[in-house]
Amino acid sequence: MKNLVYILYFFCLISNAKTITVGKTYPVKTIKQALALANDGDTVLVTPGIYKEGNILINKKIIFLGKNFPTLDGQNKFEVVSVAADNVVVKGFKIINSGYAALDDPCGIKVYDRSFVRIENNILDNNFFGIYLQNSKNSLVKNNNIRAYGKQEQLIGNGIHCWKSENLQIIGNKISGHRDGIYFEFVTNSVIWRNISNHNIRYGLHFMFSNDDSYITNVFKGNGAGVAVMFTKNVKMFNNYFEENWGDSAYGLLLKEIADSYIFNNHFKRNTSGIYMEGTSRIKVEKNVFEANGWGMKIQASCMENEVVNNNYVGNTFDISTNGSLVLNTFNSNYWDKYEGYDLNKDGIGDVPYHPLSLFAVLTESNPSSMLLYRSFMITLLDKSEKVLPSITPDNFIDKTPLMKQLKL
Amino acid sequence: MRTLALACIAFLFLASCSSKEAKPLKINTDACDFCKMTIANGKFGAELITQKGRYYKFDDLGCMVQFAKSNTVVPYQSFFVNDYTKDNTLIPAETAFFIKSDQINSPMRGNMAALATAAEQSEYAKKFNAKPLNWTEVYNSYK
Repeated sequence: MKNLVYILYFFCLISNAKTITVGKTYPVKTIKQALALANDGDTVLVTPGIYKEGNILINKKIIFLGKNFPTLDGQNKFEVVSVAADNVVVKGFKIINSGYAALDDPCGIKVYDRSFVRIENNILDNNFFGIYLQNSKNSLVKNNNIRAYGKQEQLIGNGIHCWKSENLQIIGNKISGHRDGIYFEFVTNSVIWRNISNHNIRYGLHFMFSNDDSYITNVFKGNGAGVAVMFTKNVKMFNNYFEENWGDSAYGLLLKEIADSYIFNNHFKRNTSGIYMEGTSRIKVEKNVFEANGWGMKIQASCMENEVVNNNYVGNTFDISTNGSLVLNTFNSNYWDKYEGYDLNKDGIGDVPYHPLSLFAVLTESNPSSMLLYRSFMITLLDKSEKVLPSITPDNFIDKTPLMKQLKL
Repeated sequence: MRTLALACIAFLFLASCSSKEAKPLKINTDACDFCKMTIANGKFGAELITQKGRYYKFDDLGCMVQFAKSNTVVPYQSFFVNDYTKDNTLIPAETAFFIKSDQINSPMRGNMAALATAAEQSEYAKKFNAKPLNWTEVYNSYK
């Protein structure tokens, strides 16, 4: 009986929904014509070719499919695909050359105030903005390959730009050459998973005023200034890679005005600063690897009640640096490769506390040009004496239980 | 004669100290001195110069005003803002015309744009359904 219901249901689907094929050898030659013919629930299948039809507006609940990546060309004048209906699927297109630098932010694909939209398996090349979700809910952006060729000193939009949205899933996209790879503004309850955002002009990922989100297992490499999470609370950051963000104002991860978040099992490698924190509170930084950075972490005096625990600090020039003398954060049970203490009772925990803040880190913070003297004999001597008798560095800035062995992370 | 020459040289040195010229913002390179973000949009940037001749750069007009208000120690000399209709051109803030609207999306949600003439101000105010403002009003709109 149940099977029969299913079969009937399928028949209904088949009889109602039709597929309109677009192509040179088919009766329907243009996409616009096909969209005009389509009804809710239909599929528009586009065969390979180059389509220069200006702005393609989808205002019906259809499945918009490309076969072998047909090219939709915006000729540097138009927004290429605009989605203005719920439940639309855009899949398998190559979308190129959107309009450029106009005041209305032209995009490869833009979704206007809609829900349950899926944008999957597209190639976006040389667009001003890549994919733009405005006021959208419950939508999915998956496995898209987004490239642009932004240069320094040039205005360009973001790869995936989400604004005033909720319940989004951004999964498995590759983004490069845009201003920010992924940009979230007023976006809540969303997840960013398994994306690769490399070599963007500004940030790999940029959060503004976006609460209750998480980003998990992403790679951010070689972006202009790393990743920025700002003016936000309740963000979970797990298993991400922050690598090779070099420059004066570049950070692996820039945290500003953020609270109640959890940074777990991330890798910070070869950045000018692994994490830079300003005005952050109640953040737990646990089981991360800080390796070969200029500064592992820079914690400004405006941060409080943060907990830094069970991290590996390996091969950084400075592990920690701060600009104040007040210590409102805790740094216990981390592994520091610069630790020179001993462990007589063999419990794996150093018997003398470790001072992660070196004298020289304090000096360079207030006077950057003193960096010139780094590794000179006098400085090394001063650093050693400071470790024994702290005078300039705050004496309660310590790891009480430093680990003797590196954690396996 | 010699003292005059020395005086001249001294004057030149002094004059060169207090530069009033705006330094152009380097898009995608300079970072905002208030919010730490890299400046990426040459329509909303701003710059201020202290009396000692130090430059501070901002990605949003709102950042500049908040920065200026947070500091009461160092006296300021001049304020500059990006002309909204041009790409990365700084104009003096005191004589600029401003509009504020939720439809203007500036990087740090200051949502204000600066324009060079009153005619442009009324034109764009109509377009964005925006409120026209002058510099004093902009400056006082932050605590």
